[in-house]
Amino acid sequence: MAIDELLAQFHEIATSPRKQLDKYLAQGKKVVACAPVYTPEEIIHSMGLVPMGVWGAEMEVNEAKKYYPAFICSIMQVVLELGVTGQYKGVSAIVIPSLCDSLKSLGQNWKYAVPDIPFIPMTYPQNRKPAYGVKYTKAMYERVISDLQTATGAQFSGVALANSNRVYNEHNAVMREFAEVAADHAITAAQRNDVFKSAWFMLKEEHTALVKQLIEEMKKTPKDESKVRVVVSGILADSPNLLQIFDKNGLKIVADDVAQESRQYRTDVPDMENSLDALAQKFADMDNCTLLYDRDKKRVGYIVDQAKKHNAVGVIVLMTKFCDPEEFDYVPIKRACEAAGLRHLNIEVDCQMVNYEQAGTMIQAFKEMA
Amino acid sequence: MGEEVKKKRRAPDPNSAKYKLGQIAAKAYSDCVEAKARGEKIGWCASNFPVEIPETLGLHVCYPENQAAAIAARGGGERMCSESEGDGYSNDICAYARISLAYMKLKKAPEQDMPQPDFVLCCNNICNCMIKWYENIAKELDIPMIMIDIPFNPDYEVSDAEVEYIEAQFWDAIHQLEDITGKKWSDERFKEVKEISGRSSRAWLKATACAKYVPSPFNGFDLLNHMAVMVTARGKAEAAEAMETLLKEYEENHKTGKSTFRTDEKYRIMFEGIACWPWLRATSTGLKSRGINMVTTIYADAFGFIYDDFKGMCRAYARVPNAMNLELSRDKRIKLCKDNHVEGLLVHTNRSCKLWSGFMAEMSKQIGQACGIPVVSFDGDQADPRNFSEAQYDTRVQGLMEIMEANKEGH
Repeated sequence: MAIDELLAQFHEIATSPRKQLDKYLAQGKKVVACAPVYTPEEIIHSMGLVPMGVWGAEMEVNEAKKYYPAFICSIMQVVLELGVTGQYKGVSAIVIPSLCDSLKSLGQNWKYAVPDIPFIPMTYPQNRKPAYGVKYTKAMYERVISDLQTATGAQFSGVALANSNRVYNEHNAVMREFAEVAADHAITAAQRNDVFKSAWFMLKEEHTALVKQLIEEMKKTPKDESKVRVVVSGILADSPNLLQIFDKNGLKIVADDVAQESRQYRTDVPDMENSLDALAQKFADMDNCTLLYDRDKKRVGYIVDQAKKHNAVGVIVLMTKFCDPEEFDYVPIKRACEAAGLRHLNIEVDCQMVNYEQAGTMIQAFKEMA
Repeated sequence: MGEEVKKKRRAPDPNSAKYKLGQIAAKAYSDCVEAKARGEKIGWCASNFPVEIPETLGLHVCYPENQAAAIAARGGGERMCSESEGDGYSNDICAYARISLAYMKLKKAPEQDMPQPDFVLCCNNICNCMIKWYENIAKELDIPMIMIDIPFNPDYEVSDAEVEYIEAQFWDAIHQLEDITGKKWSDERFKEVKEISGRSSRAWLKATACAKYVPSPFNGFDLLNHMAVMVTARGKAEAAEAMETLLKEYEENHKTGKSTFRTDEKYRIMFEGIACWPWLRATSTGLKSRGINMVTTIYADAFGFIYDDFKGMCRAYARVPNAMNLELSRDKRIKLCKDNHVEGLLVHTNRSCKLWSGFMAEMSKQIGQACGIPVVSFDGDQADPRNFSEAQYDTRVQGLMEIMEANKEGH
């Protein structure tokens, strides 16, 4: 398939999750919704279920206002809105981790707002690295397994999980490779996002196959060296209107620290005898994320290193409005960029954003910085 | 210009609970200052960090949340918040955190000073915002951070897996602190602290339960001040003694028909949320002028830390407000409303606290239904004065009063 055709396919999938859901349901599969930021998709996949990401959408919120005050992040508000208004009809359950304060309340509200889709909590430990933390992660995975069995009737097996762990590791590797290829070859910011976003609405083995094809085709194209190279950081970077501004200004995303994108693919499941132990160890090994306890603020250094490694001129933080963990990290990121001689920019975004003029002006000014 | 006539304030009775509690709160700061001057390492501590740990180890700690509340109540909230905002912190971030981060930088505030920390003790059983706030302090000051993670519990009961996880962290924290400070854990001393903490807790629970009397022998706003001692000093013998004095006074008030709510108690409400410290007088007067006594809050239940052993302590810290699911949070409040003959619920939608406000709408609706009482909310903030409108508060409280009045008349 030609690059354009492949990219059109990613775009189609990224923009029509309901169609994907209906497709899997028509195949007789059961689908489990996965709320941000980390859900044990490998477990869901291994039980023969289809994990699908729910990260909100650009839309007005009405029904969710009955549950949430205005100052809760719009991703939670929209996920709840979509649930209340029946957009997830057909989904067998939703797994919601409690990695931030707003996610904690999403699970509690969900039980009453969307009673027909069972809420499965995933409680991750913040002290995830010591042995006692890994043990707790495993215990919580076992609880998810038990809840999934109740909600869907599907069964768990360690052998199947070992296989799913491999499927996910391969997908991780392919997505990491894609990010690198996309840094040097022609692809718009919106197209790059389509590739990442579509991963949430497909079985990973299907997505891997498609991304592999894209990588092969892209490698055949000449290097794209005419753009202003930037690293993007944030929870989401999927607003078409915003990404258009990147392209309009000749900005190229050469690496990302976006929760919905590369943060998902940095850490693999290690090779261990027990597949559930291995999955728990994966969580222990994860780092460089605002939602994971990070005394040393390693994430800040990681972002700067990514910018240097990819020869970027600076870092653009797309700050999800009302996301306080990210807001806390912004100050050290800003200072580290200044110390490293990198440009930096903070643009506040949310799912109800309608006016992009200010963002456009800021990006233009960023581009023109000496 | 006429001479100002000042009301003479009565000298406080040194035997009163109010005096004793005030002294304990003030002493926590002066003890820290003195310890620091002696060359001891002192810490900044999250409000629901297991206080038994520093107390048993003989460490002096002070509480940034308490300091931020004091700064806000004395008028410095906006100045300190703006300072942090100038450094790039969003005005969306918890105002306690913004004040604290500003204090870390400025190192002084006329409203309430405290010494700079040599380590921080973080516990996220109240919110994950604590983690980010303390990470930033630890990194900026290059000091150790002791992190105890008590996850939000989506279930009604605390699981054995969670207790095991918490217990391992408590011991990890103890060992880290032994290494940092050179002080040693003693099981004997822990036993004493546990017993004192139990004494304080029992007295607190009984004192706050005196709201069952009609009229209540106390103004519920008292609890907002007294709870600081329960948070920070309940393991100290003087705190237990002061709480027992408080209980005695409330019982005595009931017998003699007195109350610290110094007007006719026409209505009884539960107040939900952290106080609006910058607007304490306005929020209190808005109720008192209408004869509304805030007889109870979840704090009445929250600081009853009664347990038998170390494991029991771990379990207790997993059952604090903001770590509990909606159903347990709801049922505890329903009990308080019913036990204390509450006629209305006033909810502070606190701009600083996403977790407390995040499922409050659904929970307070369920409480209202279960208790047959009206629920009214107002927008405010625990420490940033810019997020509160006196006019809105007044209108909402008036509305609540009118429904309570109609209910009394049987409409």
